[in-house]
Amino acid sequence: MNDGSLRKFYGWFTFLGLLVGVLVVVGYYRDEHRPWKDYQRKFIQEEIRRASTPEQKMLAQRTPVEIRQVLLPELNRVDRCTTCHLAVEDPSYGGFAQPLAYNPLHDRHPFDKFGCTICHRGQGRATTTEDAHGHVAHWDEPMLPQKYIQAACGQCHEASDNPAAPELARGNQLFETVGCRGCHKLGGVGGNLGPELDKVGARRSPDWLKQHFVEPSAVTPNSGMPPQKFAEPDLDAIVLFMLSQTGTNLPGFYASMKVIPSASEGRRLFQLKGCIGCHTVAGQGGKIGPVLDDVGLRRKPEWMMAHFRDPQSVTPGSVMPRFGFTEAESRALTEFLVHLRDQQVALNIPALMAPADRGREIFRKYGCAGCHGPEGKGGIPNPNAKTAQQVPGLSFVADSYTKPELKKMISNGRREIDALDPKRPAPPLYMPAWGSTIKDAELDDLVAYLFSLKPKGEELGF
Amino acid sequence: MNAPLPKRIWLWFTKTRVGRSIFRVGLPESNLERSQAMVSSFLLHVQPAKVNRHALRASYSLGLGLISLYLFFILIGTGVLLMFYYVPSTAQAYDVMKDLQFVVSAGMVVRNMHRWAAHLMVLFVMLHMCRVFYTGAYKAPREFNWVLGVGLFLLTLGLSFTGYLLPWDQLAFWAITVGTNIAGYAPFVGPKLKFLLLGGNIVGQDALTRFYALHVIVLPMIAGLMVSIHLWRVRKDGGLSRPDEQLGDEIATIPLNQLPTNKSYGLMELARGTTPQVGHNPEDEVFSWPHLIFREILLFLLVTAVVLFLAVFWNAPLEEFANPIHPPNPAKAPWYFLGLQELVSYSAFWGGVVVPGLLVTVLVMLPYIDRNRVGVGRWFARERVVANTIFSVCVVVAIVLTIIGTSFRGPNWGWVEPWQNPPTITEGH
Repeated sequence: MNDGSLRKFYGWFTFLGLLVGVLVVVGYYRDEHRPWKDYQRKFIQEEIRRASTPEQKMLAQRTPVEIRQVLLPELNRVDRCTTCHLAVEDPSYGGFAQPLAYNPLHDRHPFDKFGCTICHRGQGRATTTEDAHGHVAHWDEPMLPQKYIQAACGQCHEASDNPAAPELARGNQLFETVGCRGCHKLGGVGGNLGPELDKVGARRSPDWLKQHFVEPSAVTPNSGMPPQKFAEPDLDAIVLFMLSQTGTNLPGFYASMKVIPSASEGRRLFQLKGCIGCHTVAGQGGKIGPVLDDVGLRRKPEWMMAHFRDPQSVTPGSVMPRFGFTEAESRALTEFLVHLRDQQVALNIPALMAPADRGREIFRKYGCAGCHGPEGKGGIPNPNAKTAQQVPGLSFVADSYTKPELKKMISNGRREIDALDPKRPAPPLYMPAWGSTIKDAELDDLVAYLFSLKPKGEELGF
Repeated sequence: MNAPLPKRIWLWFTKTRVGRSIFRVGLPESNLERSQAMVSSFLLHVQPAKVNRHALRASYSLGLGLISLYLFFILIGTGVLLMFYYVPSTAQAYDVMKDLQFVVSAGMVVRNMHRWAAHLMVLFVMLHMCRVFYTGAYKAPREFNWVLGVGLFLLTLGLSFTGYLLPWDQLAFWAITVGTNIAGYAPFVGPKLKFLLLGGNIVGQDALTRFYALHVIVLPMIAGLMVSIHLWRVRKDGGLSRPDEQLGDEIATIPLNQLPTNKSYGLMELARGTTPQVGHNPEDEVFSWPHLIFREILLFLLVTAVVLFLAVFWNAPLEEFANPIHPPNPAKAPWYFLGLQELVSYSAFWGGVVVPGLLVTVLVMLPYIDRNRVGVGRWFARERVVANTIFSVCVVVAIVLTIIGTSFRGPNWGWVEPWQNPPTITEGH
């Protein structure tokens, strides 16, 4: 055994041992040093500074530096945002810079019930800024920009009917009026030229959506969708509405918040449940129950609530059945009846409208305007279509079709659109077959409306 | 005495009552003690007291088998730590990965170590196999140990493949979907085999449960057992192969009833076959302590350092939560199967069944096909130029196919050049 070879071993032992040691230390340091600990220490410093009594000071000093999280088993989420954003619920941190800022808008959405990411998106389990805010590869839910935050409301609440989310309601109204449903299905209603939009808000980024509205073929080559000429605020509103369509199925309590009890929701329920079968409003309806125009003057809201719960409890001998309304539904109906006296809520009960008026609603409902223009006036481009490279307008449809012919046309659609130049690509837009969607009474009303479009006093013939 | 301080402390400790009771021999100073140290320690007695100088030559073995073994140890250690957290449930597995990254102390480092050690082990087992081939070390009397080695190679792939699914992200889900689809191409048994492996027709909770059980219990136990037999056979077959080796096949055995009764016999004289001493020239031998043991410890430190280095600075991948509706395009198997996947893209039957089947069969039968005993114990022996050339061609083809599958295949398995921007994937509408 010569000592030389052993000494060589010892040298290597020392070197490799130190190397492993250094790597362990570096690994430990990188694992231990996390920015959220700095934020917490800053927060604790601030708390100590503010303490006015020795007890408060001691309490602040004892605040542990630790991961803080909101466990939301029902939502299958763990939100650790409060590990850095420690003061979101403390108003005294009003003007502070992030991450220590107070967020005043959460009175109705307490953290212990909602957490953060269900609305703001991002990655709740993460504890570093980029990961938590979700701006990293392989995370599908980056934080919703503050500009579009109202999109989050649409996940739980009816979009059309949320006083706290006017942008969302605007986006929804635009969606229903410009005719998106002519090509796209949402909630099962709409055409099939374009893709379904039920989960579009989870799939697409705000930038993508915006670009897609302005110039569809820029982000989706060969898209048949005509560019949409929205003004900037409208564009943001419709993007916001698209972002709200995430297709998230929320459990129990959260799903029950769908309906915000409001007068317009009450109006919808009033129609849906067929109240005018027995009650008269604005001179129309059944005679079995009392007239309701002035019920808001006669009855208190509490009385109405009790009445919806169980009519006999407040009106012994009443023949009105117990409908089993939920608390929210009862409140919505009550709101509606209370407001009815102010005539602020238009009734628009379909059964009482003229066929052509009902037809206008149907024209709107299925998004016909998306291709045929508002009120069927045309003007939507359809490149290479023989009809002046546009989707034909419908003003004079009464001259070209009989009613049965028109019904047949709507039901069967027309897949092949004559091309202006056979050598160029076929026109992207065509008439889908609506037969399985629009039928019976709806079809009759729609045709009545289309025939009513012809300007009065004009004859095309000689 | 001018020994370094750690050594002096060690010497003092081994001479105390407690130290003696634990180490029995203490730090060996004489040759007798060096032998005793090896024989009297449970952990060391697996190895011989003396080894041939040739076996210690790093340029001969490259330490590849030992490196594979150490990686296996690291994998067991980190794997057990990961098991403390992991839940084999499709709903929770992915969240556990996130928690390991964001809230478990050193969780990410442990997962990284496990991941990189696993990839390295596949690589080093392959390299070890190449070394054994190029030095002709699979020839008699080591034929069966080669067969065990092929088994261990397949087990290593199996362990890596089953572990691949466990994070339950897109990468895991689609790699296993593609991998098990390849298994499904086998005639007759393929679909059944795939069904058995997945516990269904698609990758789901049942597949995760099965892969988990295979990954943490079944395969490691079999691998552990086979590693033990593999190592035991290395010693029983006369240590590492070397050029001047003599064959011990012709050693006569004396029938038991003819043994004189007035003499006690060592067990090796009664057993048939080669004894560990056959062909051992005392001049070629050195004591395992310290020559072998020190080298082994140094190599272990080196392997640990490399794995730690990779784990501290590079994170194991984790993609989106597994989504059976959205396959990535292209969906790729783990890298060691990408050569196969590339072959499958030409022909499912030939690439997925015939070629791998033939390859494994030939590998298993190799020592029984190539039976002459020339060129053992030397790298690239001239006498073995035909065998080496055939093997090299296979290795190069495998490497080229793997590189093509890894870097040159884009959407729809179309040809892409990695230095160009990948074509943007558009969705049809």
